Amino acid sequence: MTTLTSALYHAAFYADMVLTVGSACVVAFSKNIVRSAFSLLLTFVGVAGLYGFLEADFLVATQLLIYVGGILVLLLFAVMLTHRISNIKASNETSFSALAALAATGIFLVLVEVGTKTHWDVKGGPLGESTRPIGLLLMGDYLLPFEVAAMILLAALIGAAYLARNAIRK
Amino acid sequence: MSPTALALVQDLRLFLPEVILVLTTLLVIVLDVTPVRKSHRALLYLTFCGLLLSGIYLLRHYVDLRESGGRASSSNVLLFGNSIALDPFAVYFKGLFLLVGLLTGVLSIRYKKLNPAGEGEYCVLLLCSTLGLFLMVGSRTLLMAYLGLELVSIPSFVLAGFQRDSRLSNEAALKYTIYGAIASGIMLYGMSLLFGLAGSLDFAAIRHALEGQTELRASPLLLSVSMLMILAGFGYKIACVPFHMWCPDVYEGAPTPITAFLSVGPKAAGFGVILRFFYQSLSTHSGGGDWTPIVDQLQWPIVLSVLSVATMTVGNLAAVAQTSLKRLMAYSSIAHAGYLLMGVVVLSKDGIFAILFYLAVYVFMNFGAFLFVVFLHDLVGSEDIEGCRGLGWRAPFPCIAMAICLFSLTGLPPLGGFIGKFYLFLGVIGRELYWLAILGVLNSVVSLVYYARVVKAMFLENIPRGEAEPLPVPFFYSAAFAVLVAPILLLGVYWAPLVKLARYSSSIFGA
Amino acid sequence: MSLLDAYPLQHYLLVSAALFALGIFTLVARKNAVAMLMGVELILNSANLNFVAFSRYTVGNFSGHLFAIFVILLAAAEAAVALGIVIGIFQNYGDVDADALDGLKG
Repeated sequence: MTTLTSALYHAAFYADMVLTVGSACVVAFSKNIVRSAFSLLLTFVGVAGLYGFLEADFLVATQLLIYVGGILVLLLFAVMLTHRISNIKASNETSFSALAALAATGIFLVLVEVGTKTHWDVKGGPLGESTRPIGLLLMGDYLLPFEVAAMILLAALIGAAYLARNAIRK
Repeated sequence: MSPTALALVQDLRLFLPEVILVLTTLLVIVLDVTPVRKSHRALLYLTFCGLLLSGIYLLRHYVDLRESGGRASSSNVLLFGNSIALDPFAVYFKGLFLLVGLLTGVLSIRYKKLNPAGEGEYCVLLLCSTLGLFLMVGSRTLLMAYLGLELVSIPSFVLAGFQRDSRLSNEAALKYTIYGAIASGIMLYGMSLLFGLAGSLDFAAIRHALEGQTELRASPLLLSVSMLMILAGFGYKIACVPFHMWCPDVYEGAPTPITAFLSVGPKAAGFGVILRFFYQSLSTHSGGGDWTPIVDQLQWPIVLSVLSVATMTVGNLAAVAQTSLKRLMAYSSIAHAGYLLMGVVVLSKDGIFAILFYLAVYVFMNFGAFLFVVFLHDLVGSEDIEGCRGLGWRAPFPCIAMAICLFSLTGLPPLGGFIGKFYLFLGVIGRELYWLAILGVLNSVVSLVYYARVVKAMFLENIPRGEAEPLPVPFFYSAAFAVLVAPILLLGVYWAPLVKLARYSSSIFGA
Repeated sequence: MSLLDAYPLQHYLLVSAALFALGIFTLVARKNAVAMLMGVELILNSANLNFVAFSRYTVGNFSGHLFAIFVILLAAAEAAVALGIVIGIFQNYGDVDADALDGLKG
């Protein structure tokens, strides 16, 4: 491994960290809800990148497909639906931000303390390619959770369709 | 080591009550979309059949478990790679949930606000939610607990907002969804920390990992943070302070049968999962049906007893000022979460037993009270205490039944609620937590104030002018009230069989 | 030391703690229901990052990956239901600010 590749690798990792946290800051602090929604896109992509650095290849794909392709689109749809295009500017009002900032800072400090002071029992090397073992586990040990998730998705589908159906028909 | 296909099929045989619920759900979906003309409430009756059939198989499991002897090894059956436990504890809860599902259906039969076009969806969501309750109390891993919780939550979000054209119902659904999503998000973060520390998702494996660690590694801060975060998710389900904020609004806005369902089903399941998690992961069995917290620095019983007192006090004090019956019952159910938490903090089999006993009585008391709300709305068109004025003379039987439910909720003898509270306080006193017992009794006295206010409105206040004639009570209500009130009265004088059942269901747990 | 081991677990925990705190901030500071859902998504992502990182570093198997997959699935289900509710509210109110929802007090 040349020094250059190594340097690039490091740069990419730290850039990804900064991207993730920075865009999450925009989500939290932006006064404009549309900007928040689009920053959330970058956060999701950033987290997918971190999964990449953790060698979780299947999760990278899942994160991009479901979070970016599904959940974010739903959220954007909700944003667009509820704020007529003319009315886009300052609709992401903040209330009691001082309290929120205090709470968030406190929680952050506690979590950092927990994360850095705990003596984590760090074991061995990389897990390796993940798609095949995950598929096998879903058909074996995790078959029941898999089926339960199917039931949850079924219920969510029927429920969401029921709630939205009337409104769309009107 | 992954289970073979054969093992999974064999496990399925022990999973029949759940499988029947799934099949009923699918049948309802198929029938709902077929263009066959269906009579009114046909799908609801089909749901009843599914629940009853599931109950029959549940009974068979119970008998099998009993016959295999009371020994822990043979009657703690673990299914699907240890992720689900089939023990008497779970079976007891599942029986309660089937009862809750059935009673919710019964309340829905005459609930007028229910959109008839959505009957299929209503039944499907109710069945899914019941299945989620089943999985919650059986779960032995963090993953199953989370999935079960979500399978309860997601259908109930929709059910709370089932009256699409009612603004109150819309708001209830939105509040419930947002608070629910927040609670499960925080819980997940706590679970992830615990997972990182213990290296497993399995409750028992987490205990082994924590027991094996020197105090250097399992830092008390980490454990407290993750425990509090996980408690946020479970506490949301049982509606204990400080995770109760959604409760009054959701209870008021949701359709009344669903309110009744939410006030009993998820609460009971929340206690089931709390007991399993706290007793199997965060406590060590110290013999003789007693447990001790797993790490000395993590005195979670103290945290829970403070929450218990806060919950019952907030619930009872806020209930005094309410005018809407549904909001009053919401605060009453918060207060009851507080009483039931007393059974968790004692860390003994007596505590588990008291919770199991109380929950069974609680099902009847709460559904009785909510049946009265449905009745009031159906015949008088009101859901407020104001609407009850003088009703005791116009429709005596429903009002007497309601009074019995309310007095039983207060814990007055000779009703079932008294016996339940008696066992709860007995457990607390057995552990010499006198301050908790005293605060609990004081709270019960406060609760008498608002329960009695309803009874006073029914019997001691003047009938509004022009409404003096007796109200014809449909047979449906008389029968339903009789069915709900009879167990409360019976358990007040002859409670030995339920004690035996609840003791048996708690005796094997966690050993 | 291989290149892939270059980043200690703490890096990931730091990012996830930041995401969690920002999520909490969003939840407390925002009144808009959709904005609050975004805060929830931040929290879910932070928990997932923890699961995957622990899976790689301290646990050494794929159980954390599987948990994360289920969380993502259920987040999608929750978002779908939330959107259904928001559409319904939009029909009845024309707005989704939590303050506008004053039919229920407290």
